Amino acid sequence: MRNGKVALRTEGVWFAYREPDWILKDVSLACSLRNVMMIMGPSGSGKTTLLKVMAGILRPQRGKVEVLGIEIQRGVSRGLRPAIGYIPQQLGLVRSLTALENVLIGALSRISPGRGLLGLFPGHEVEQARAAMDLMGIGHKAREKVFRLSGGERQRVAIARTLLQHPRLVLADEFVSDLDLPRAAEILTLMRQVAEQEDITFVMNMHEVQLVQEFGDQVLMVSNGQVLHECSAQEVNLDRFTEVVQ
Amino acid sequence: MKRDFWVIGLVSLLQGVVLGQLGFFDVQRLGKGLLNLGRFAGEMVPPDMGVLPVAGKALLETVQMSFAGTVLGFLVSLPLSILGTRRLFPEPVPALARLIAAAVRTIPVLLWAIIFVILVGLGPLAGTLGIAVYTVGYLAKIYAELFEGTDPEVLEAVRGVGASRLHLVRFVVLPEGANALVAQLLFMLEYNIRASSVLGFVGAGGIGFVMQVYLQTLDYQRLATLLLLILAVVLVMDGISGWLRKRFLLASH
Ligand SMILES: Nc1ncnc2c1ncn2[C@@H]1O[C@H](COP(=O)(O)OP(=O)(O)O)[C@@H](O)[C@H]1O
Ligand SMILES: [Mg+2]
Repeated sequence: MRNGKVALRTEGVWFAYREPDWILKDVSLACSLRNVMMIMGPSGSGKTTLLKVMAGILRPQRGKVEVLGIEIQRGVSRGLRPAIGYIPQQLGLVRSLTALENVLIGALSRISPGRGLLGLFPGHEVEQARAAMDLMGIGHKAREKVFRLSGGERQRVAIARTLLQHPRLVLADEFVSDLDLPRAAEILTLMRQVAEQEDITFVMNMHEVQLVQEFGDQVLMVSNGQVLHECSAQEVNLDRFTEVVQ
Repeated sequence: MKRDFWVIGLVSLLQGVVLGQLGFFDVQRLGKGLLNLGRFAGEMVPPDMGVLPVAGKALLETVQMSFAGTVLGFLVSLPLSILGTRRLFPEPVPALARLIAAAVRTIPVLLWAIIFVILVGLGPLAGTLGIAVYTVGYLAKIYAELFEGTDPEVLEAVRGVGASRLHLVRFVVLPEGANALVAQLLFMLEYNIRASSVLGFVGAGGIGFVMQVYLQTLDYQRLATLLLLILAVVLVMDGISGWLRKRFLLASH
């Protein structure tokens, strides 16, 4: 941990889509400011559910979720909303809009409703969106519809959109798992860079042990809705992972 | 396999009974009808082209009514269908919106025309309003179903940036549904052009009035000209909307 301050904390979180089928069972965790936390675990173990609970999309039946010191288990206030970036597994992009329009969606919380409805984004927001796209290396794709972009380009659009909302915490769901390793590493390098520059805390679900070791700070292993093990990224290895999961 | 056989057998039997009740096995009546159809068709040729100016004017009115009615109905059906989308609004809002659309849909377009003739008097205004209201009932249902199909993950992600409900509509629901939205609108317009050609029967304007006169005076040669004109308009509309579909809808996906 590079910094003592906590960006995200959960305490005794229980969640079920339909009680009493508990998907999360007494999950407690903490992630320090500016850390990159990787959540590992077999498919169906509740990683996506946990991420959605921490993003304030799902409300836990029991327990506490704290983002930047503010409790959100009963809902996220409008003011805090943009501070929490959430990138779903399928990225959640609007396929029929252009890359630039998708990135500008990240700025919607700062735009008056009227301007937003007309799609009239202020010049400085458009500049910011273009800068974020340049940073992600997709500046030349700004006018392209998202459904025409490749998988890797879409990931970059999704990150740029999230950056535009000026988040303090970004929760990303396995979002490089559709890419080959070199490409995934490229994007994660960018994310780490951004995390340091912009003071952003990243939490992501991740399968690939190599990537976890290279890009993570903290690692959380979950199985069957429970946290089984917490360690630093250096301590992770494949044996440890399979041992914990079994 | 065996169950399929039983189902098909049962449905066929039912269909047979129903057809019998409707008089489909009354050979004498059907034969007479066939004979009359022949005579009717015979009296239609050659079509009397002398009525072209009158018929053309009435047809133009019909087309105007269909366009104006479809556009008006579309404009009202959009907000109604958005209110009817469960992914956007909590109950009972969607249930209420859908109930309104269903209630409107219960009444056939001809009856709406009669109602508006009573309310605003004879003429194309009544027809236009009738078409508009009928369009609302139909499109609001189709559009609400369409919007309901919006990818929940995309909605979740955009809601997550702090976007308002109106923003969700503007940036997710409408663009994702745009193609189907336009396709249904074109379909509705074609349908309304056909449907509005009979609204004149109840005095709600358009070519139907002229049609009714020729029918009552047994003026089948003039009637034939009208039918040919309507056929021409329907074909032209089919062509235009087919072209639009190919040009814009297919190209974008
Ligand atoms: N919307 C839902 N309704 C009901 N059950 C769900 C829903 N989403 C996920 N689940 C269930 O919750 C469990 C954990 O799913 P998930 O959080 O997606 O796990 P992971 O992301 O680790 O694969 C699974 O058993 C899954 O079937
Ligand atoms: Mg998952």
